[in-house]
Formats: sequence, C-alpha cells, structure tokens
Amino acid sequence: MDRHQGGETIAITIKTLPKEELFTSGHTACGGCGSPIVVRAAMKILGENTVTYFPACCLLVFGGTYPHNAFKVPYLHVLFENSAVCAAGIKHALNKQGKEDVNVVAFAGDGGTGDIGFQALSGAAERNEDILYICYDNEAYMNTGIQRSGSTPFGAWTTTTPAGTKIGGKELFKKDLPKIMMAHNVPYVATASVGHPADMIRKIEKAKNMKGFRYLQIFAPCPTGWRMDTSKTVEVAKKAVNSGMWTLFEMEDGVVTLNVKPKMEPVDDYLKMQGRFRHLTDEQIKIIQGWAYKKNEMDLKFVEAFSEDKKE
Amino acid sequence: MYEVRFHGRGGQGAVMAAQALASAAFQEGNYAVAFPYFGAERRGAPVMAFTRVDKDKIFSKTLIYEPDYIVVLDDKLCGLVDVSDGLKDSGMAIINSAEKPEDIKLGKAVKCATVDATTVALETLGQPITNSAILGAFAKATGLVSIDSVVEGIMDIFGNRIGERLATKNANAAKAAYEVTQVGTCQGGFECEKADKWLPGYDELPLGLATRPMETPEGLVGPGSFVDNKTGSWKTFAPIYDPDKCIMCRMCWFYCPDGAIKEVGEGDAKTLEFHHEYCKGCGICANECPKDAIKMER
Repeated sequence: MDRHQGGETIAITIKTLPKEELFTSGHTACGGCGSPIVVRAAMKILGENTVTYFPACCLLVFGGTYPHNAFKVPYLHVLFENSAVCAAGIKHALNKQGKEDVNVVAFAGDGGTGDIGFQALSGAAERNEDILYICYDNEAYMNTGIQRSGSTPFGAWTTTTPAGTKIGGKELFKKDLPKIMMAHNVPYVATASVGHPADMIRKIEKAKNMKGFRYLQIFAPCPTGWRMDTSKTVEVAKKAVNSGMWTLFEMEDGVVTLNVKPKMEPVDDYLKMQGRFRHLTDEQIKIIQGWAYKKNEMDLKFVEAFSEDKKE
Repeated sequence: MYEVRFHGRGGQGAVMAAQALASAAFQEGNYAVAFPYFGAERRGAPVMAFTRVDKDKIFSKTLIYEPDYIVVLDDKLCGLVDVSDGLKDSGMAIINSAEKPEDIKLGKAVKCATVDATTVALETLGQPITNSAILGAFAKATGLVSIDSVVEGIMDIFGNRIGERLATKNANAAKAAYEVTQVGTCQGGFECEKADKWLPGYDELPLGLATRPMETPEGLVGPGSFVDNKTGSWKTFAPIYDPDKCIMCRMCWFYCPDGAIKEVGEGDAKTLEFHHEYCKGCGICANECPKDAIKMER
C-alpha cells in the first residue's frame, strides 16, 4: 500500500481505511466491547507487516483461544508484567534478522499497562525501544471480572470497590498515565478515544510512521463492566471527552497539542449513562465535577507550557 | 438430593439464578450450594452454573455431570451445546423457548417445561435477562420449591447485588413466568454439532502453526481461524438496514466491534451488507447511524 506521493504522506481516513480485516470476525468479545473497535482499526492501519504482543488481558482471551486466533499476523504472549520488554525483544530479534521494517506493537489493557506492566513499560520507554505500545483503557481489570485498577475513576463501582452504605465505590482518583508517559521524553505519546475515530486513525498512523518508543492510550468503554447498554459504547466515549473526563492530546518531540478542546459539559450526563455510577450521591458527583475542572485546567496549562512557541 | 445444571450465556445471569435457587431451597430448610463453571466466558458466550440441594449437609464439591434437572436460559444453546448431556432419564429440562415442550428437540426424550422467558423479561424488566423468569418456571414445573421461596431467594441474591427496587422487578418476572409455563415431554435423538476442539500436545504441534492457518478435521486453526466461530447466535436484537436512507458514511462499518458489516458494490451502487452470522446485536451501529438507516429488531 503506497501512501507516499511526492514525499508527502496521504493521511488515512475512514473512507480510505483498508477493507481487509487483519483482526477477523468471530472473536469472543462481549457484544458492544470498545477494544475490538480500537484493534480492528489499528490492524488495518498497521498492515500485514506487523508482529503483535499481548499481556494477560481481555483482548488476549477473546482474540485467541488456542488453537484459534482472530489475528492474521503473528500474535505473542509471555507474561502479564512484561509487555513492553517482550515487544522490544521481538523488535531486536527482527532487527538482527535484517527485518527492520516490521512494526512491533503491544496491545494491553490499563491494568497491564499502568499497574502490573508499569516497570517494564517505564524501562522500555526510558531506553527508547522502537515499539508502538497501545493501551486500551477500559478503567478496570475486566478480564478477571471487574476489579478496580489504577485507571478506575473516583466513585466507580467495581467488585473490589463495592458501593454500600458507608463507602460509595472507589475512593481514589484515576491515574494520569499519559502524562507519566510524557515525562519519559519519548518521541510520541497521545491519547485517543473510540468516540473520535478521525483523531484516533490519525494518531495511530502517525505513531506507525515514527521511530522510537510510541505510546497511545485509547479510551475504550466496556459495557459489561460499566454496567451500561451495549449500544452506548461510542456515545459514552464521546461524552467522556465532552465533559472533560478524558482529554485528547498528543506530545510529539516535546511539543504538546490539544486536539479536541473539551466543552466541559456537566459530568452528570456521562455518569448517568453508566450503572457503575448509579449509587453516586450529589456530593460525590460534585467531587467528580471538581476533578474534571481541575484536570482540564491543568491540561490547558500543560499544553500552554509545552506548546510550539515555547520550544527553543 | 437433587442437582440442577444451568446453561446460559454470559450476561444472562445463570450464576445468579443458581444462587437464587439455592437460597430459595435454603429458605425451605434445605442445605444448598451454588457455583459457576470457571472459564474464559464473556457476555454472550455459553456458560454453566450449578445448584445442589439436599436435606443433609453437602460434602460433594464436584461439577454436576449427571443432573436431575437442566435449566436452559436460551433455547439457541440447544443446538450449540449438548445441554442434555448426562441428564437422568427421570430428569427434566426447563427451557426458555416460545415453543411448546413437544416441539423441543434434545439428546433424549424427557419431561420438559417451556416458558417464553425472554418476552416475560422484556415486559417486566425491559431487558432480555432471563435468569429470574426461568426460576418461576422451575418452581412451576418441578414443584420442588414454592414460588414464594423463589421470590424470597431472588430478593436475597438479587437484592444484594442490584438493589431492592430492581430485585422486586425480577421477583415479578418470576411470578409472571410461573403463570405461563407449559409442561410436557420433549423429543429426543437430537445430536448437536460436535464441539470437540483440535488440541494437539506440544510434540504434535506442526511447525509454522504460529504463522500460518491450517485445515484440520475439526476445522481451521491458527491465525485468522476465528472466522469459523459464528458468534451471530449470541444476539437478541438484530440490525435491520435500510439502504435508501444510507449515505455511506461508513461509521457503522468502522464502529462494528465484530467486523460484521461489509461494503459491497462499486461506484454509485455501493451498499453495506450485514453479516448476521457474526453480529452479536450490540446495537452500536443503530445508535451511531446519523440517518437512522439501521434499526434493532428482535
């Protein structure tokens, strides 16, 4: 597939996205799952010349149950905690064989990225290994039956943060992983969402065409764990961005750009769509609203501080 | 002692049904245990759960291989899983189906009760979750537990998980199903598709399986072989597509988590084709279509 004409890259859009499915139908994800949307699109963009790596996560289970497999490209799994180093090892091995043009991509959930897999991820980022790391963020350990992770937001019900009369869901806030990854000074870090496909496609394509460590965190709602209707996956992802619960920005060579300016709609709409927030009191909603405002303010200052103009 | 095996799909609440039945039996002074089959099952995939009830203490911890009763939460499972496997000849099958017991085909001819629990659930709960309704049918068909105990069991188990208001709705679903359950005898001799998977040991594994797909007597294995896994039977609602309203924006094609929407034709004749054999009926396409060209229907 030739997308380079006269030295300029022609960007992929929904209309020009390849029709071939490298992540086939028949996988066993729950109906309405957000992560296959990410993976289908990513595999179309990355193309056949790709090796994929997975830690333990939903995608590992629904993407392939021995001896069946939904991926038409090589698909590897070692352990939960070492995705980034294993992917880096695959890349080094391919380089030794002279296959330097192969894309190596690690797909992982938020638990396998930010909690259990973090030391390997941080190490690989610090060494600037030449891999693409895509985290699909569904805000809990969904594969094992909805346990809270570092990425679970405040107030959310999970099986390990139950909502009762004394405690109303998780009492701690969501870990800001994208910014932690930005602090590693890697070539490319971006956030995306299944609710903003054009932005997501552009970022995956950009990451594909770069060298060095590239990190993408893509917001992928989980209807099962979020206790919502399966048809609302994309709608809820859009609402997350509009209400400031999730920010779309990217850092390329030290320059941070805000891609979608949050409309800062009240968080109520976003929360009311999901059963995991059903128990919230007005006070808790206020705390979440306050968190969204504060996050937005910090993000804007951050984008300002690392804008193109400030770059020496 | 009697043993009950529940066959459902992830998300239909087979495990909660098994627990609520155990609770109902416990209310009547019995000992009871309920437990799920542990596996990598997801919403929509076939799952199992078990209830064991006895007058005395229960020491057996095994899965139930020779049940006295089977409860099937979705009649489409009867063609996918051998639900009557090991069922005792004196046993009984309780099946969620709109059909009469006489029209149900299982591996063996046994006593059978049917109830259209999906319709009952949609009417009382607004969702196709059939676990509470089927318990009403169990009470009616077997007479082992009273409908009042079933209601208490539901209030106990469901009340803890989803709150009293929703538990009451579920109790009403059980009562409604109790009234419309039909009892009879099903047909036997039905053989469901062979579900055996090809599972080679490490020394039998052909070289290159990790990089190439391969045909085996049990179907395709290796990369891309999930195409043989038809997930279309998972759905309750199916998308109905109106090509006249469609503007070919392809948003549904992009969003479909299952890749069940394909573009066909050339130029102006381009249209979309819905592959119902893979569609899980999530409804994202209908929800996101800007022109309302897709509707979800049962």
